[in-house]
Amino acid sequence: MAVTANPLPHAHPSPGNTGTGKPEEAGAHHEEHENHSEHLMLDPKPRGEMNAMAMESMLSTNWKFWVVIVILAVIVGYGFFYQWAILIIEGQGVAGVTRPDYWGLFLVDVVFWIGISHAGTFISAILRVMKVEARRPFTRAAELMTTFGLVQAGLSVFLHLGRVWLTYWMIPLPNQRTLWPDFHSPLMWDFMAITTYLLSSTMYLFLPLIPDAAMARDRSTGWRKLFYRVLALGFRGSEREWKHLGTAMNIFAVAIIPVMFSVHTIVSWDFAMASRPGWSSTVFGPYFVIGALHSGISAVLLVLFIIRSTMKHMEYFLRLEHFDFLGKLSLVISMAWAYFYFNDYIVPWYGGDVADKELLHFQEHGPAAWIWYTMLICNIAIPWLILWNKNWRRTPWLMAFIGIAVNIGMYAERYIIVPVSVTVTRSPFIARLYEAAIEIPITIGMFAFFLLLYMLASRLIPLIPIWEVEEGQAAHSLQKVGKADIVTLSELE
Amino acid sequence: MSENFTLVALFQDVNHAAEGIGKLHELGIDDHHIDVLSGIPIKGSILGRPHFKTNVPRIGMVGAGLGLCLGLFFLQGTPLLYPLHVGGQGLFPLPPTLIISFEMTMLGLMGFSFLGVFIESSFPAFDATHYAPEVSDGKIAVFCNCPTDLQEQVTNALTAAGAESVRPVEAHLP
Amino acid sequence: MSHPHEHDHEHPDSRANAEEGSGKWGMVIDQDLCTGCQACVAACAMENNISFIGDVRESDIAYGRSMQWIRIERFWEGEYPNVSMTDYQPMLCQQCGNAPCEPVCPVFASVHSSAEDLNLQVYNRCIGTRYCANNCPYQVREFNWRDWPLPEPMNHRLNPDVTVRQRGVMEKCTFCIQRIHVGENLAESEGREVHDGEVVPACAQACPADAIVFGRLDDHESEVSKKALNGRGYRHLEDLNTLPRITYLKGGSTHGGHG
Repeated sequence: MAVTANPLPHAHPSPGNTGTGKPEEAGAHHEEHENHSEHLMLDPKPRGEMNAMAMESMLSTNWKFWVVIVILAVIVGYGFFYQWAILIIEGQGVAGVTRPDYWGLFLVDVVFWIGISHAGTFISAILRVMKVEARRPFTRAAELMTTFGLVQAGLSVFLHLGRVWLTYWMIPLPNQRTLWPDFHSPLMWDFMAITTYLLSSTMYLFLPLIPDAAMARDRSTGWRKLFYRVLALGFRGSEREWKHLGTAMNIFAVAIIPVMFSVHTIVSWDFAMASRPGWSSTVFGPYFVIGALHSGISAVLLVLFIIRSTMKHMEYFLRLEHFDFLGKLSLVISMAWAYFYFNDYIVPWYGGDVADKELLHFQEHGPAAWIWYTMLICNIAIPWLILWNKNWRRTPWLMAFIGIAVNIGMYAERYIIVPVSVTVTRSPFIARLYEAAIEIPITIGMFAFFLLLYMLASRLIPLIPIWEVEEGQAAHSLQKVGKADIVTLSELE
Repeated sequence: MSENFTLVALFQDVNHAAEGIGKLHELGIDDHHIDVLSGIPIKGSILGRPHFKTNVPRIGMVGAGLGLCLGLFFLQGTPLLYPLHVGGQGLFPLPPTLIISFEMTMLGLMGFSFLGVFIESSFPAFDATHYAPEVSDGKIAVFCNCPTDLQEQVTNALTAAGAESVRPVEAHLP
Repeated sequence: MSHPHEHDHEHPDSRANAEEGSGKWGMVIDQDLCTGCQACVAACAMENNISFIGDVRESDIAYGRSMQWIRIERFWEGEYPNVSMTDYQPMLCQQCGNAPCEPVCPVFASVHSSAEDLNLQVYNRCIGTRYCANNCPYQVREFNWRDWPLPEPMNHRLNPDVTVRQRGVMEKCTFCIQRIHVGENLAESEGREVHDGEVVPACAQACPADAIVFGRLDDHESEVSKKALNGRGYRHLEDLNTLPRITYLKGGSTHGGHG
């Protein structure tokens, strides 16, 4: 197929074509150039060229890529699969769980990965419904995080079970034992909600992928051509196909938002429904949702930095403006998180409940207190000190550092909620500090697994939704209003 | 009745494509004999095309209803089939009913909307009869099915409207 | 003290027997008599085929993985060297009328028995989520962290009336439900009611001080019902509305006493 570099089908005449050489307009022209280079939406390239960039970025791998893949595969094979086999054969005794720490690092992982997965939905659904144009280049990169994050979350659930080979008893299907699962249990609500969320977000990842798969189909040979041909389902781009696809995407965007809120709320109810000190808190629902967004948006910052630094042509699509936008978002969410955490803290602090007070004291002064301080520093201090500065927000490596810091802080937060809270019970006779054992290599293996899946996916499907970028670029233009060139956004849909 | 044949014209932007379609209308070719392919969705009114209806929302609603029934069955039906008492709650608890019904309704809505895209677009359609790969490069392809005696007029009209190329294809329009 | 609950009028059986009466099978533990000798612990382990912990990894015991369905809790008051002991506290499953461990199991492995008004742990059904153990305020549920070996000839000591549990399964005190069933079957075959004192769980049988009394709480003439009305009686954590079926009789050493 001929790759032609032609101008886009713009709704408005492109700026700068009406230059008459006057000094003011030359000055205005200079400003337009600044606008052009900064904003992706005002710096359109011909579709064919963007397609070629996406394809090249997807197809090119160097030796460093494969070295990382091999290392990750080894970590996943030994740290995750082999250790999990030991866990199944030996029993939960090889993990660090005991009385009263019945839930440990695996549950921290469950909450953490579901938290990561919320970022994808936030960006591709909420920002879409709110018509935030800045989302366009990284919706798919974020949605991939959702899908792979949910895979890890599901694995973490399986990991903590004593008899994991009987997990299928939780599936509500008619059976010979004539038994149904117990829907009184928050774990069943978890099961239903996570299944719904995983299926929905995979479908929502796939729908906007179809036109890009069609593009890749037209530009591939060999096994890739067959792969994209199957993925594209014969999509041609006819008006009817766009209508059906667009309608479904709108339904998904609106419907998946309440599902997203419900999933992490239901996960929080695993703890809130329990009558343990530190868990039985009514603020857990929104607290967990905001926490999920906090860790998720930060993870997106980190992933975008890695993509931009390691893949070809990504500097055209992922710009400083996107880091700036996500940085502002991260600051706001960090403040919201602090608000909810303060709620969760002040209520037991104020009241006289013996067990609650003892737990708070243990969190702040016990042997695990360093984790509590890490949480506060990484979730509040670091974002609040750095993210208010616009120049710093536009520094990708600094934003990646924030991404790592906040994720460490949020992991610490979940550690405080699960293994640290269960250390203290209502009976002074029963208390024990949790010491993670096989959970550590398995957790490391899961992080490696996530990265491995993501890296493989980055070379199998185009990470940037080119058609959505072009759609946005077609709607943006510069219009002369008075003496200035003003960015105009047309509602072309 | 003269034979019909199909032409495809490639345009590089919406203005020219709209002009071309307008010229086809002037020549008496109605909307049923025209199909437009594009690399990004283009609102029908921009090109002077009719508004297309889709059944995806209705299919989604069917799915939502089925999901709601499933959720209610899980919470209110299974305790009738196999009642087991657990402490502190009745056999038919209302808040879990709301939770599970909500999740199943949403799953049904989204799952069936997804299937609706397949059904409505007849996916997979690997043997699609008409396609122009340039479409994924940003071109707008206008397919029109017209009687043979109009061929030259149509070709001239489309070229005058700014088509990059006009060529005949072997295809049947839906 | 009445507790406002939603009552399902169309299905009178749909509550887990929480409000009607104070339970069926119950216990009284007299802490003034208890010497902390742990005979009950040993007897329970023998009766219920509880595994010996520590053979695979000695540190399991130190890490809190002992599996004692009944345990003797010891507390002290004051700072060293002015320390005084309190009563010994045998802690076992309270068979709560409003058991918090029951609604949280996703597979119905922890359910309430309408017939015996006990909390049942169904070993075959348990998939090991350990939510029930998290939710037990008394922390009396035991989890099989590993498969513990039982070399010959130790397997000959197993009680044939009780199953042996696999790794990954939760277990706990059952009020020796196997003995309850033996007693009830015998009584039914002889066409009579179960006599008070006929059914004795292993812990009550072994106690040399007769500190544990077991019987029918719904029979107001039974020894356990009369003892439960003792002025020294209290229940653990009853403000959590768990409705425990065990009444503890305060001993002299609790709260500054000089017993």
